[in-house]
Amino acid sequence: MKQILSLGSSRIASWAAPALLATLAALFITPVVIGDAFVYHVFVTICIFAALSTAWNIVGGFAGQLSLGHAIFYGIGAYAGVILMNLGISPWLGMFVGAAFAALAAVVISYPCFRLHGPFFALATIAFLEVFRVLALHFRDLTGGATGLMIPIKMGWQWMVFRERLPSLIIAFGMLLFCLAVAQWIRSGKLGYYLVATRERESAAKAAGVRTVQVRLIAVAISAALASMVGTFHAMYLTFIEPSAMFSLSFSIQIAMFALIGGIGTVYGPLLGALLLVPLTELARGWLGAEALGLHGFVYGVLLVLAVLFMPNGIMGVLHRYLQKSEEEEEPRQTQAAPVAAVPRAEAEHEAGPEILRAENLDKHFGGLHVTKDVSFSLREGEILGMIGPNGAGKTTLFNMLSGFLQPDSGKVTVSDSAGNFSAPISPADFASIGVGRTFQIVQPFAAMTVEENIMVGAFHRHPDVNDAREAARETAHRMGLGPWLNAEANGLTIGGLKRLEVARVMAMQPRILLLDEVMAGINQTDVRRAIDLMLSIRDTGVSIIAIEHVMQAVMSLSDRVIVLNSGEIVAEGDPQEVVRDPHVIEAYLGKGFADANS
Amino acid sequence: MLTLENIHAGYGATTILHDVSLDVQAGEVVTIVGANGAGKTTTLRAIAGQIRPTSGHIYFEGRDITKLAAHDVVDLGITMIPEGRQLFPDMTVRDNLMLGAFRSGARSVQNETLDYVLDLFPRVSERMDQMASSLSGGEQQMVAIARGMMAKPRLLMFDEPSLGLAPIIVEQVFEVVKKVAASGATVLIVEQNVFTTLQSADRGYVLENGEIALSDTAEALLSNDHVRRAYLGI
Amino acid sequence: MLETFLQVVVNGLMLGGLFAIISIGLTTIFGIIKVVNFAHGEFLMAGMFLTWLFTTKLGLHPYAAVVVVAPVLFVLGGLTQKLLIQPLMNARDEHIQIFATVGLSTAMINLALLIYGADIANTPAYGLRTPLEFGPIRVLEGQLFILGAAILLVIGMELFLRRSRTGLAIRAVAQNRTAAQLMGINVNWIYVLSFGLGAACVGIASVLVAPLYPTSSNIGTYFVLIAFVVVILGGWGSIPGAFVGAMVIGLIDSLSGFYIGADLREAVVFGVFLVILILRPSGLFGTKQKLSHIS
Repeated sequence: MKQILSLGSSRIASWAAPALLATLAALFITPVVIGDAFVYHVFVTICIFAALSTAWNIVGGFAGQLSLGHAIFYGIGAYAGVILMNLGISPWLGMFVGAAFAALAAVVISYPCFRLHGPFFALATIAFLEVFRVLALHFRDLTGGATGLMIPIKMGWQWMVFRERLPSLIIAFGMLLFCLAVAQWIRSGKLGYYLVATRERESAAKAAGVRTVQVRLIAVAISAALASMVGTFHAMYLTFIEPSAMFSLSFSIQIAMFALIGGIGTVYGPLLGALLLVPLTELARGWLGAEALGLHGFVYGVLLVLAVLFMPNGIMGVLHRYLQKSEEEEEPRQTQAAPVAAVPRAEAEHEAGPEILRAENLDKHFGGLHVTKDVSFSLREGEILGMIGPNGAGKTTLFNMLSGFLQPDSGKVTVSDSAGNFSAPISPADFASIGVGRTFQIVQPFAAMTVEENIMVGAFHRHPDVNDAREAARETAHRMGLGPWLNAEANGLTIGGLKRLEVARVMAMQPRILLLDEVMAGINQTDVRRAIDLMLSIRDTGVSIIAIEHVMQAVMSLSDRVIVLNSGEIVAEGDPQEVVRDPHVIEAYLGKGFADANS
Repeated sequence: MLTLENIHAGYGATTILHDVSLDVQAGEVVTIVGANGAGKTTTLRAIAGQIRPTSGHIYFEGRDITKLAAHDVVDLGITMIPEGRQLFPDMTVRDNLMLGAFRSGARSVQNETLDYVLDLFPRVSERMDQMASSLSGGEQQMVAIARGMMAKPRLLMFDEPSLGLAPIIVEQVFEVVKKVAASGATVLIVEQNVFTTLQSADRGYVLENGEIALSDTAEALLSNDHVRRAYLGI
Repeated sequence: MLETFLQVVVNGLMLGGLFAIISIGLTTIFGIIKVVNFAHGEFLMAGMFLTWLFTTKLGLHPYAAVVVVAPVLFVLGGLTQKLLIQPLMNARDEHIQIFATVGLSTAMINLALLIYGADIANTPAYGLRTPLEFGPIRVLEGQLFILGAAILLVIGMELFLRRSRTGLAIRAVAQNRTAAQLMGINVNWIYVLSFGLGAACVGIASVLVAPLYPTSSNIGTYFVLIAFVVVILGGWGSIPGAFVGAMVIGLIDSLSGFYIGADLREAVVFGVFLVILILRPSGLFGTKQKLSHIS
């Protein structure tokens, strides 16, 4: 389950910010007031784990890539700090050297692993962790091997090592604040939206112009750098490091676990998780000593299992549910569509402009199946081109080639830019940036986001600033009749609403060419009429449209031109009225029933 | 034989079916037509026990089956031939058919049923030892229907049997549906292909946005203005 | 020279047998339920502790423990599916399933620590650690039994899945859960049964492994990583594939341990694993099945 806390947020209750500040203040002040060495130790440890978990959450939560190897980066930071300190270089400097190495390692490790999903990504990160541990054991000269490394006895701020406790707390607390600030900054900005969108629906994110690999690499690099910096400090705090403790699987699991229990994917969940669980461990260790061997781990394991079963959204999820409940009482949710008056349109004669998109000899095979055979056509500026044909005719495959999701085996797609120069984009992001927007036949809402946030993912394409994007998204939402649901969960929309959301997300990108894949399928008659008017008004703003549609009523009244596809080939093309009378079309698609009924 | 009373059902928080009531008499061929997403498949899934209605009741031969698990519904003799065939791809056609006879009522007579079914589907008998995934779409649909027949169902439900098939194959599929009906089975078909389906059915229901908008004999529906306008673009 | 090489190869094959027997359960469970059981190693650890208890308390041959250990693990596996995995089968997010078995693994390791402490439990060997000499080649008696048992278990599982009616139902569920349900198969029960079967395989493995390897709370962590490597190599869900994968990894382990250095052989094994996982995710012998784990 993913966390559903709204990103930007009218929904966070007014007491959330004071509560957060109070928690943070207590985290710092409590040990100072009590003054006990053990209490100091517990709170320093909380800060360190909370910071690590917050860093992990950028990858594991925001980007949804479950890493169980984050100790790699922590370990790199620790070793970089200690090795450089032995060479007389301050850990304050070593910290950044470590962070640079960790970020580099993270990118190199993650890039090939991104094609792996779920447990397989987790497994790969575990394997990398093992490789690092074995290498750290092997290169004795550098790492001290199994005997480990001690830090030289140098005290003071310059060396991050102190006799008294307070400075360590200050540094640990500062690091925690820094990690939280970075996480908050990512989450509330364009990068955060892009990461969550990629996590929820990779293909829809790509269609919205998100360079999905790039954003995730940025996320892992930041996360690794933060974990590494914390690692450097922790090494100084521990004064001794060894491979099995630094590159430890159970340590990696703990980091992830704090985030899960606190609330995976939220900014402050990891903090909450560490705050609740770390004292448990440390107290058990402090009070029961050796007798408690395994006790805290056992409790962790059991808590993790219980959390997964009964609290999959963590503590933040529970808080959120509670908040939402009280909010719903105040303001009953609107459930019915606000009708949008369908203004009858003046039948203006429409002149199509020059060619804007060309598909030339597109051929595509899937295994032994020849899905499209030598398909060529073009789209003119300001034109609505209807595309019909039986299921399996290759329409969606064709769309995938027109938007960069599939590469044709042979043939090419060229698109003209606003100046009229044709080029051949390759990736979905290329197509998006030249102005091609597409929808998906099976609606692809970003589930953990509100309607407004869904549309914002598209709006970021033209408006990098969050506030501008929100403004643009709202405007688009109102135009699409989604105004009343701006703050509603995208998943809660009706099928008609989801179809409109699909179009709205693309429209927010301000495309010049719009590819619509069955946006009218499954919506009722009133909605079909509204959708037709909407599409015509979109066209009137200068956008060219290709629409795959089964709803013949829509095809007939919308299209300037119709292409009929059957078994991967174009069997007819031309004026809609003529095409439906074509015997080939009747045989392949419409059926005799249609012909009989139509005559 | 089958009665749905005021069924509300959906997935998670989303309700798809609103107050759907319908009935099927023994020996009838009944169809539910409607647009993509209108709730046709959801209706079948509710009957088959794959999703549990949030309210309402489903009776089969007088017995309340609303809360039965999917495999228990099959045991009563309700078999669904799912959308998109859903064969077991890495098994032979024979194994697929044998799995069709898995329910307790069909197991003991599976060899007799197999002979009978292969008689109905001569094309399938030529493919017995081929992997299901190597068949063409039309052949797969035939195997899916044959597999459904292997269960010796009292009620056979088809979910979009024409989906993704060329019109010529669709015709063949409907021929088979007619054969199945003629053999005495009760049939419930869900389809987008409104004309062809209504032509082979006795009665029909029109589902719109999860509600029954119309119900009548197939003939009457074929000449109904609303149906002609909404589903034929006329 | 040649003799040394032969000995290294034979050692590799023996290791292969060991890796095979610990991997069969993992690949079975994944192949049918599509869940990666991160607690697999801890099932092995639990089985080994049980074997140790059985042998030391009752003074019987460790192999006799199979009559207790296999059923106990079957139940443990079935319960894991029923209570932990089943409620999460429809979770939209696969992270939840990962955390579930990771949590189980953490809990089991530490429970063992709590009960037995950090000490090592040595199961009496009953002569299974006696080396047998075939000319210049030496192998342990227990190793030969493991290899033989692995071969028998692979054949047995394949026969069960291919020939029996329950096996047919299991394969049906594995290939298409929805369709299997439509056939009247009780899918949830098949899942419980399959998880139990996979765990029982681990039970058989643990009585064979216990006399040769000292049991400790973290023994599972070492073995499970190898099992993951083997299963990836053999193609997820394929039992014969796991066997061949185990042989390959056994040989790589043994050869790299001898020729590259004992402390780096793990790095070599995991390096191979990563290369395979990333470049050929369907495994060395995987068919062109639909792979859910890559895009």
